[in-house]
Amino acid sequence: MNPAHPNPHQASFRDPSGYVYDDGGTIRRRIQPIYFKQYQSLTDSGFYKTLISKGLLIPHTETNRTETEITITPEFIPFITYPYEWSFEQLKHAALLTLQIQKYALSKGFILKDASAYNVTFHKGKAVFIDTLSFDFYEEDTPWRAYKQFITHFFGPLVLAKNHGTEMLKMLQTHIDGISVSLISSLLPAKTKLNSTLYTNIHLLAKMENKHSEDYKAETKVAKLSKKAQNNILSLLFNAIKKLEVKGASEWGDYYSKTNYDNASFTAKKELIREWTLPLKPKSLIDIGGNDGTFARTVLDEVDDVLVTDIDYNAVEHNYHQVQKNNEVNMLPFVRDVLQPAPGIGLNNEERFSLLKRLKMFAPDVTFALALIHHVTLSGNVPFAKSAEFFATFSNYLVIEFPKREDSWVTSLLVRKREFINHFDFYNETQFEEGYALYFETLQKQQIEGTHRVLYLLKKK
Amino acid sequence: MNMFSVVSLYFDPGLGAMIVQAVVAAAAGVLLFSKNAWYKVKLFFGMIKDENDNYDSIDIEEKEDDESSAS
Repeated sequence: MNPAHPNPHQASFRDPSGYVYDDGGTIRRRIQPIYFKQYQSLTDSGFYKTLISKGLLIPHTETNRTETEITITPEFIPFITYPYEWSFEQLKHAALLTLQIQKYALSKGFILKDASAYNVTFHKGKAVFIDTLSFDFYEEDTPWRAYKQFITHFFGPLVLAKNHGTEMLKMLQTHIDGISVSLISSLLPAKTKLNSTLYTNIHLLAKMENKHSEDYKAETKVAKLSKKAQNNILSLLFNAIKKLEVKGASEWGDYYSKTNYDNASFTAKKELIREWTLPLKPKSLIDIGGNDGTFARTVLDEVDDVLVTDIDYNAVEHNYHQVQKNNEVNMLPFVRDVLQPAPGIGLNNEERFSLLKRLKMFAPDVTFALALIHHVTLSGNVPFAKSAEFFATFSNYLVIEFPKREDSWVTSLLVRKREFINHFDFYNETQFEEGYALYFETLQKQQIEGTHRVLYLLKKK
Repeated sequence: MNMFSVVSLYFDPGLGAMIVQAVVAAAAGVLLFSKNAWYKVKLFFGMIKDENDNYDSIDIEEKEDDESSAS
């Protein structure tokens, strides 16, 4: 890393080819002389150009070039999501993208020198490769160095999710370098050993890794692998991943059919949200607990960047499907439990930023918190002042829905408290308003017709 | 030290993982070959239905002009 730069990005220290830094709000990438030859070849051969024109690699422009340094400036990405915030299908697409790129690289005499899931993020509705310096020259007959990393970052977690449900994907948060092959192997049911793809790519790999783990002097000769053989591995993994599917009923998947809304109320709520939001002319918006994006979509045509996060994998998956189906470029769905936002992880707790840090940088003009507060307050036992404080750390305007005690969801949540129900007497409109008044002023307040729910438009003090 | 690839590895690729790829590739070769053969048989007997998944192919198609600019 170049100490001359005061603001190197905290995730950019592993690869000696270059580093990312923050140049007064603009993210730039400095390329070190050690990588000049690769960079020049990738540029001159049209390799970068093809990947960029296909939308597979983030576009960049060369903004500075001297004898000793080259600087490129990649296209701005408003919000970075991490692999542990993706739905199953999102991780799957990131995996397929990585294989596509490796296969193409091979055909042009290059390789992906690493296959970290953090090389990919979601931008303009699609998975895109963001580590422009992840390529190196292919040496004839060498195996793919990033193969194991691909298994631990992509294939293994996807297969685990297929066998044990999407919750397995959360393991990526505690395993920043991927889930180890021995752990993946031990977690998979024995029957997976009968599948030749799973046996070779996971169980046999784990066995071999274990066998050679004590080769401290690197004495064993590395086997050769022809390009054709490597292409076979890539195609096989691609086909296998394409077919992976995950089961599991949704917590909220059919939420809207069992809520307190009849059609008229549903429409009324949508209209009210749009009516309050549009005059604020927001450029960025986040819907927290936004399910499949139904309400965020009411303003999607007027807002540049919309994030929708939900605790439920199926809701996020459903949202992501709509993004693809409608080619929405300004909607970014991701998975997150609001009571447990992603912490900063990796070196210094800063290699991958916490959700709050990223939200503060994203600084949404408007935040939606619809049909959320009763869960946060009654299931999470979070006092109003505390949830208000949370929203105030990153929000400017807040559209928040308060379901009253008469609302059937709230009633049900309260009844489940049994003998402790009296501890939740504070759950009422007045106390809600008092709690939020610590951080916000009320601009609008209206009961949604036909419901026991009140919608507020708040502005941060 | 290899002179061709100037960027030294910054993570351990795993020796076992490097060796196992020969076996993985052999298995993959057999599987892909048999799938392909089975596909041709089904094609011959008109048993192929349109595959309608929404995934791209692993191969990136290049336009003519992309090819010509490649050196």
